[in-house]
Amino acid sequence: MKKRLGIISLFVLLFIAFIVIWNFSYQVGLEEGYIPIENKVSHTNIPSESGVFERAEFALEYANMPIDENHQRTLDTYYNNRAYYGAPPSIPHPIKDEKSLGGNACLQCHQNGGFVKQFDAYAPVTPHPEMVNCRQCHVAQNSNTLFKPSNLAKVHAPKVGVNNALIGTPPMIPHQIQMRENCLSCHAGPAAPKEIRVTHPERINCRQCHVPTDRVVSEITPFTRTNSNENE
Amino acid sequence: MPIKSYLVHPQVGRKVELLDALSAFEECEVMPATNEDILVLVTDTIDEASEELLKEKIEKIESLKLLAMVSGFNSPQNQQ
Amino acid sequence: MYNSLSNRRSFIKKMARLSAMAAAASMFPGIMFASEQEEGIPEGANLDWKKGPCRFCGVGCGILVGTENGKAVAVKGDPNSSVNKGLLCVKGYHQTMCIQSKDRLTHALVKKNGTYVKTPINEALDIVANKMKDTIAAHGKDSVAMYTSGQSTIPEGYVASKLMKGAIGTNNLDCNARLCMASAVAGFLTSFGADEPMGCYEDIDHADYFITWGNNMAEMHPVLFSRILEQKARRGAKIIDFATRTTRSSTASDRSILFEPQTDLAVGNAICYEIVNNGWVNKSFIEKHCNFSKGLTKMGYGLEDKYKFKDKPEKIDFDQYRIFLEDYTPEKVAKYSKVSVKDIKYLASIYGNPNKKVMSLWCMGVNQHTRGTWMNNIIYNIHLLTGKISQPGNSPFSLTGQPSACGTAREVGTFTHKLPKGVVMNPKHRELAAKIWKVPVERIPSKPTYHTTEMFRAVDRGDIKFIWTQAVNPLVSLPKTSRYRPAMEKESCFVVVSDVFPTPTSDVADVILPAAWHIEKSGLYGNSERRTQHWDKMVEGPGDTTPDAWMFIEVAKRMGFGDLFPYSKENHVEEIYNEYRQFHEGKKHGMAPLEVLKKESGAIWPYVDGKSTQWRFNAKYDPACSNDEDFHFYGKPDGKAVIWQRPYEPAPESPDSEYPFWLNTGRVIEHWHTGSMTRRIPVLHKAMPHAYVEFHPEDAKALSIRNGENIKVTSRRGSCVLPASINERGLPTKGQVFVPFFDENMLINDVTLDAFCPISKEPDFKKCAVKVEKA
Repeated sequence: MKKRLGIISLFVLLFIAFIVIWNFSYQVGLEEGYIPIENKVSHTNIPSESGVFERAEFALEYANMPIDENHQRTLDTYYNNRAYYGAPPSIPHPIKDEKSLGGNACLQCHQNGGFVKQFDAYAPVTPHPEMVNCRQCHVAQNSNTLFKPSNLAKVHAPKVGVNNALIGTPPMIPHQIQMRENCLSCHAGPAAPKEIRVTHPERINCRQCHVPTDRVVSEITPFTRTNSNENE
Repeated sequence: MPIKSYLVHPQVGRKVELLDALSAFEECEVMPATNEDILVLVTDTIDEASEELLKEKIEKIESLKLLAMVSGFNSPQNQQ
Repeated sequence: MYNSLSNRRSFIKKMARLSAMAAAASMFPGIMFASEQEEGIPEGANLDWKKGPCRFCGVGCGILVGTENGKAVAVKGDPNSSVNKGLLCVKGYHQTMCIQSKDRLTHALVKKNGTYVKTPINEALDIVANKMKDTIAAHGKDSVAMYTSGQSTIPEGYVASKLMKGAIGTNNLDCNARLCMASAVAGFLTSFGADEPMGCYEDIDHADYFITWGNNMAEMHPVLFSRILEQKARRGAKIIDFATRTTRSSTASDRSILFEPQTDLAVGNAICYEIVNNGWVNKSFIEKHCNFSKGLTKMGYGLEDKYKFKDKPEKIDFDQYRIFLEDYTPEKVAKYSKVSVKDIKYLASIYGNPNKKVMSLWCMGVNQHTRGTWMNNIIYNIHLLTGKISQPGNSPFSLTGQPSACGTAREVGTFTHKLPKGVVMNPKHRELAAKIWKVPVERIPSKPTYHTTEMFRAVDRGDIKFIWTQAVNPLVSLPKTSRYRPAMEKESCFVVVSDVFPTPTSDVADVILPAAWHIEKSGLYGNSERRTQHWDKMVEGPGDTTPDAWMFIEVAKRMGFGDLFPYSKENHVEEIYNEYRQFHEGKKHGMAPLEVLKKESGAIWPYVDGKSTQWRFNAKYDPACSNDEDFHFYGKPDGKAVIWQRPYEPAPESPDSEYPFWLNTGRVIEHWHTGSMTRRIPVLHKAMPHAYVEFHPEDAKALSIRNGENIKVTSRRGSCVLPASINERGLPTKGQVFVPFFDENMLINDVTLDAFCPISKEPDFKKCAVKVEKA
């Protein structure tokens, strides 16, 4: 009897050991490599390039989004909201809380956009959500009258459809991109003005095909050969 | 005069071959998707008999996996 | 009535098509059809579209050029090309704009008493032929040389080789692919015995991980990078950027790992160490398909004239290799590579995971390296040890720089040691060439002569008395141009330059020949994935411009070799290609017939029984495999690939107290190589009007350098003044500066070092020591 118990308990022990080891090795087998992948961004930031691929994770969603024709913005309203072309847009709606900063107020709607019933419009997405002191640059519109009339003439903003170098080539980028490095924030989604909404947001490497033309400081002269013998 | 459109699925890796085979038929208009393994096929035949015949021919292509009809139109011939 | 009926029918057809497209879109969100990409072309534009490959990089995108009244007015991506599926990049879209440049070379120019005189093309070709003949008569065959290009078409490279090696009988032929792909070639030959990648671009659609080795694909191979980004968005594939500089590619990748220049050798070996040490080796694969070898070490750097090196391979076994790797534990390597132990282990774990498919991609970072051949070998080691090779998605993929570096330089063989099939050292290969060329076999010399760097050193020494350059701009692109510009200016050497635009190289020419551009002639190119592509002439070139191949033929005729070049002016491209195809007959390298190439957007060789071979060495896909195993590396006599023991060795010149910075050079997305074409495209010039020297912001701060300020970059060889660029296109690591080399007005190659890989003879443009000061 004792012998039998001993044998049974031996087998039970072996069986338990088998299950434990088998489970352990199965669990180990499930792990991918042994270094966990870190999700934080590992590269150093290059200011003029940093925004290039931001919002790229939404590109496929943008591509599949139906167009809400009743609530789309036009390029006219887009520019009307700016003092001059390239100026920070002013805030065309009442402000929730005068004392709050970006994260608590503006960014709630302007980080990712979305329909706002109160204004019957889609909130435009900011290309630089990391800058939270929004009202440093964006002013409210609390009055429609002027202190004194002004002679300021609005310089004509770039037009749509005239920026192609050759027939059918991708249009060039006719505006500066400082603080607007992230193309998709203005050129994709329901708040994008209909004239400049990109037809192919899933192609996220925009500057592969679209060349910037607006240089920051000075006029660019045509290519000349300064070392050439002929110029001597 | 039947006009029908289909979604055509090629065998794995044989999309180009299928495209060539389908393009060889005069009655077929083919549009390959550029980023998926699928083609859109529009057939335009004189009558139902030739339509049947064409379909048989298409189904014999080896690189074809699945032919799924999406829509069909038929305008009576006597209108001509 | 008929009209309205046909309208009705076409309307119904359109409806049928749209409903099918809508159904497809519901199944595959984001699906694209070829026709949608043509929507952008304005209605009524009555354009005639012709297909061809792009003029620029080695990706080899298919383009469609729209012509109207004999002028090229539009370019779009070819939706039928499986390479780019209708997409191009900034250079590709605007390429044809350069041919209308005002300073186009339209007539031959001959230097007389110090000034260039416009000369009829026939007279200029007489002068070239006579000069070549006289030089050979006075100084021997090896006093004349030809320097061509990875941008030469297949027929151009073929007649250049036939003229020099078959007709004249000298191996003085090399090309600028020596500056960009030689290490890749040497890597393939040493590891597999057969040149060019085993996989193809379709690997991108299967891989789970993309590891880029010193390669800024977002700017240099943008169309392929977009294909990778698509896989990232759709399937969650991961990109890991392993580099010495933070770039747009790093911004797009899931992880960016930076390393100290030259230590990629050590990190590669550390990855192999981890693979071996953790038991991730695919044992059955290496037993059946791999040998282990070692070669000579401490080879030097080729800095002295007439430097010679020949490797002595020696077989070793796995245990010897394992012991060798013990010098490369992640802990040891982390100390000098500045890559953390964790990152090395992370990289190794990706390669070691048997359930993930990995594609390694590299280009100039690995090739332009004084140990470039070794570095190529090490990447193959990683893939061979884990058996991740020659299968869809498991692919070490050597990217190419130039549009026909593969098709012309490597396959036709416009290197000093090469023949269209094989090498000049091999008597059988010489016999085959002699038979097809119909020349006596003794005429083809058996010894290679000058590789690129040595060729220009020979010009400097006065050994070469006549040089003809074609589609190439060595006085911007050679390393250490500070030596080779005065060399080319010497009276002792007669310089003939065939080009489309004036360049610093044509400035020193005695005769300038006006070449037809890309679409002004017919031709063939071969891209990185072994795809051969043909195009027909689309527009007439201005003035006396002539296809380069035809200028070679005309000179050959004038030298008395007319019977070897019996081609017709109208049809020479076709006749030459058909003759060339004979070299590669067979299952291992068969080329597609011209009729196929005219119809389709390229075909991949080996082209066997009417089919492209996408994955070589894998019995499932490659009909040339004959050993009844799953894999057959038939380039080597015993059918086995070689895992090479290649150590870490330091760079020839490293930063020191006098010259404290690394200098790295490279390209930008807007400009192609030396900029002679792209700078004449107004759109691209405006986007990137001049070169710059890029600093790490902390280095700039320490030297109180502001953005845009003129900086003098000086090495032991020369100096160059450029505006500083801080926090713009890229971010070099601390202690490193980066300069793009496209700008002929700011010649950074006056500063670089002409050290090269002793095996491949490819110079290292990525590493030398410089100092910087305000100019």
